[in-house]
Amino acid sequence: MRIEMHPILGEAQWGPKVTLMVDGKAVDAFEGEPIATALLAAGRRVFRHTTKRDEPRGVFCALGRCTDCVMVVDGRPNVRTCVTAARDGMVIETQRGLGHWGTEQILGEKGEQGHA
Amino acid sequence: MNDDLLICRCQEITKAEIEEAIRRNDLRLMREVKRQTRAGMGLCQAKTCGHLVMGILAAESGQAPSEVEPDTSRPPVRAVPVRVLANRVADDDRD
Repeated sequence: MRIEMHPILGEAQWGPKVTLMVDGKAVDAFEGEPIATALLAAGRRVFRHTTKRDEPRGVFCALGRCTDCVMVVDGRPNVRTCVTAARDGMVIETQRGLGHWGTEQILGEKGEQGHA
Repeated sequence: MNDDLLICRCQEITKAEIEEAIRRNDLRLMREVKRQTRAGMGLCQAKTCGHLVMGILAAESGQAPSEVEPDTSRPPVRAVPVRVLANRVADDDRD
């Protein structure tokens, strides 16, 4: 569910439809909306599992402060999905603990998009 | 009450752990609590738990909340890729 009509911000303005690959599955998104918005709209609540207790976590503050919603985005761990814009073809993975770096990031083949 | 409540969500530190550390070591400063418990040392850098820890410390150590000395804030405020910092240095060198 997305807010289509906001009492203060007015009618929602959505970018073109794009597709995110989330844990190997295609998820619809609008370009430029927060990744977390697309995941919540697709019915997903768990974005990562914690380091010590392996507990599920998802959106908590939803404004980029608490870092509870971080996932591995295009091989980069600890990306705050609530303040990172969705782009077509983004590869997003559930983060386990501290996460891991994808090889493409270590080799530097991708740009700086998507980080804090 | 709520002893098993997570105060520091990043490092998964409970209220009981923080209170116990303060009592056992007679802590009075925010940085002492941080170094004893790791509360506030996670990804969000105490943005979520900082004021909660300060409240617990004030109550446990008998200080007024306004008397508790805040921990030192150190930039960068967000996790920044080393590459970004390296590029900045390279730009400065060219000037």
